[in-house]
Amino acid sequence: MILERRDWVLWMISSIVWRIPGRDSIKMAGFSHTEAGSGLDMLMAVEETPRRDMRAKYFRHALDELKHAGLFRKRALALATKPKGRAQAMLDDSSFIQEHGINDSDSLFSKLGELEFLAFVWIAERRGAQQFDVYSDLMKDDADSCTMFAEIAGDERFHIAYSRAELDRYVSGGEAKEVKAAIGRVKRRRWLEAWLRLSVIMGDTMSKLWLGLLYVVVLGPSSIFARLIEKPNRGFVAISVPEEDILERARMQA
Amino acid sequence: MSYATATMSTTVLGISAQYHDAAAALVRDGVVIAAASEERFSRLKHDASIPVRATRWCLEHAGITMDEVDHVVFYEKPLKKFERLIVSQILHFPKSFKAFQRSSMLWLTDKLWVRNTLVKKLGVHPDKLLWSEHHLSHAASVFYGSAHKEAAILTVDGVGEWASTMLWKGGPDGIKPLFQIDFPHSIGLVYSAFTAFLGFRVNNGEYKVMGMAAYGDPIFEEQVRKVIWPEEDGSFSVDTKYLSYHYSATDSTTEAFEELFGEPRYPGEDFDPTTPEGKRFADIASSIQKVTEDCLVGLANRLHRETGLDHLCLAGGVALNSVANTQILNRTPYKTLSIHPAAGDAGGAIGAALWAWNEVLCLPRNEEISKPGLGRSWSHAEVSEILSDLKITATDLGEELAATAAADIADGKVIGWVQGGFEWGPRALGHRSILANPRDPDMQDRVNEKVKFRERFRPFAPSVQAGSEGRYFEIPEGSEQPIRWMLMVVPVKEDQREAMPAITHIDGTARIHVVDEAANPRYHALLGELGKKTGHPIVLNTSFNLKGEPIVSSPVSALATFMRCGIDVLYLDTFRIDKSDMRGLERVSD
Repeated sequence: MILERRDWVLWMISSIVWRIPGRDSIKMAGFSHTEAGSGLDMLMAVEETPRRDMRAKYFRHALDELKHAGLFRKRALALATKPKGRAQAMLDDSSFIQEHGINDSDSLFSKLGELEFLAFVWIAERRGAQQFDVYSDLMKDDADSCTMFAEIAGDERFHIAYSRAELDRYVSGGEAKEVKAAIGRVKRRRWLEAWLRLSVIMGDTMSKLWLGLLYVVVLGPSSIFARLIEKPNRGFVAISVPEEDILERARMQA
Repeated sequence: MSYATATMSTTVLGISAQYHDAAAALVRDGVVIAAASEERFSRLKHDASIPVRATRWCLEHAGITMDEVDHVVFYEKPLKKFERLIVSQILHFPKSFKAFQRSSMLWLTDKLWVRNTLVKKLGVHPDKLLWSEHHLSHAASVFYGSAHKEAAILTVDGVGEWASTMLWKGGPDGIKPLFQIDFPHSIGLVYSAFTAFLGFRVNNGEYKVMGMAAYGDPIFEEQVRKVIWPEEDGSFSVDTKYLSYHYSATDSTTEAFEELFGEPRYPGEDFDPTTPEGKRFADIASSIQKVTEDCLVGLANRLHRETGLDHLCLAGGVALNSVANTQILNRTPYKTLSIHPAAGDAGGAIGAALWAWNEVLCLPRNEEISKPGLGRSWSHAEVSEILSDLKITATDLGEELAATAAADIADGKVIGWVQGGFEWGPRALGHRSILANPRDPDMQDRVNEKVKFRERFRPFAPSVQAGSEGRYFEIPEGSEQPIRWMLMVVPVKEDQREAMPAITHIDGTARIHVVDEAANPRYHALLGELGKKTGHPIVLNTSFNLKGEPIVSSPVSALATFMRCGIDVLYLDTFRIDKSDMRGLERVSD
């Protein structure tokens, strides 16, 4: 295996991270959700593309992604040590499905359009293949995981090939500039998204610190008074209908 | 439009979102013309986000834009809910530290600004926004969704703004509240705490606890009654020393709870009721089910004493407990029962819209909700185009649809059945269903393991043609509405239990679905054909989805699910698709 420079970075980081006990199953569960998300994006593309000739390709791609989600799920559970709590809980919770367009109010396809969507597929699949190559290498002692990664790699070759072939068709149709621009936008967006993810982590940490401070300084003293005036609320509470106008009540959020 | 000039052509959009099961519903001309959960579009189970796609479809279906909607009603009052959250966290300082951090982040960045979000994401004019209340939306969903002009109404949920349970009286002058029980005393939250303890996901696995309960005996009833117990006045109380949901965002039980019941069951762990450990879990499930039923019966009886009415309306997530629903009807003086089909939070969307229609706009009473397929449908031409584009060689059966599908079921095939608009609510009612022969003794295991990839102990429901239900089941009087929406569990007649092994649960019961011709003519015809072929107009009916996924909605989602599981044949509109018809896809290449 010949790794590109950035893949060596990924390899080094991953070789440390994957050694943390229990981490492999969590990573596999995470991949399962990423693939499921991609599958949903592709199914949306089947429904939304104006190019009817693309539907079958997107559909086959979607089925591959959903199959991969299932394979990763199985490996996650097989690798999880008892109790399988975290990996299982993660797999059972669809809110972990992230990084797919459906999390927004518009699908990835409708946000990008056909050409940019294809550019996105091509770049994401290529990157995915490189990453899985690294993970496969790291797990070379685990025959089942290696077999799984090999199967996925075969599917990804199809994804990379058809998306590249479609981009080439645009190029030969006189849209070379548009293709180049679309690839550029996708690459920039990937960097931007990576930056945004980092910002979210930083923002999250800062917010937690501030909220922690607020909790101690404000909620702490308030709790003493609150407990003094707390009313027991067990059992039925009789309700009288408020006298104010129903429309006025309906207009209020409180 | 002003409120004084509202007319029958007024259009009201109801929205529920932000907690779980977001949905949108549109009321016009006094009819619920469209209603859908966001998860059916986003494909994320229990999707709680603002229902942009569901709203978009509702408007498309009505052929209008958001500008033409007169009022948009949110199903609860978010600021009241926030107040409850903060007060609970103050009262439980310092144990509420993590919950405070987590919930504050969510509320401060998103939930508190729901008004702005609705304006921005849905394009609603702020002046058109109205705010119902959580339990009021539930109460309106069932009362105004029913044909009854007067009824006692019981809404039981996890928690709304402050209330977990409310007792109401509905009449010609609207819905009037009588009593409420406040958080943290909550049947729904306690049931969810047991759900988590038994290794299932909260807000998703409660019905699994119900299914598991049948394998056990309520020998932990005394212990459960230390956690939650019915009071003499019909209310109930909770001892919070066993519970942590009022101050924790991640856990719902305490160490004291584990001292009562032992080690919890871990998610994904095999459940075998023949082992001592499996039996313990089943006994715990049976015990919480029993105490839940007692609490609900107590509430319903008190409500009857207050109102003296013969008809009871039920809504709120707890009303999806179909075993308890039967107990309520059997153990109280009510003569009839109605339950909103999407009794959980999704139903709040319809409820909010119907409440505004009837009580804010004071328009004439709306029509009863009688048809399940309120969601999006795809035309024959659209389905045909999709199949052609995906290189699937399907057979168009036309008028032979019902007879051919019945023959496949009689031959032991498991079929996918996708017809018309998708259902409102969590149950598959013959629009997006997986169907099979209920008389095959191996069918339950086959569908659980090979088709849906889910736990072996999970039971399946039967659909039976209206008029034949009495032949197979002991139907309680007054259950006409809930049995049409698969909301009650009834005993299978003793002489039919062996004949119907795939739909008879371990305790000899089944969650029945009676199919009317008016509500679903194609499904009714299929059952009729099955009756002709086998002598039994009854079928095993389970939702068309895989474990952890929402029920399929579009033809594309149905085909994708069909390809990934052990369904033998798919009936999509009038098309019959065999797995071998999908071979064209394998030849798709670059």
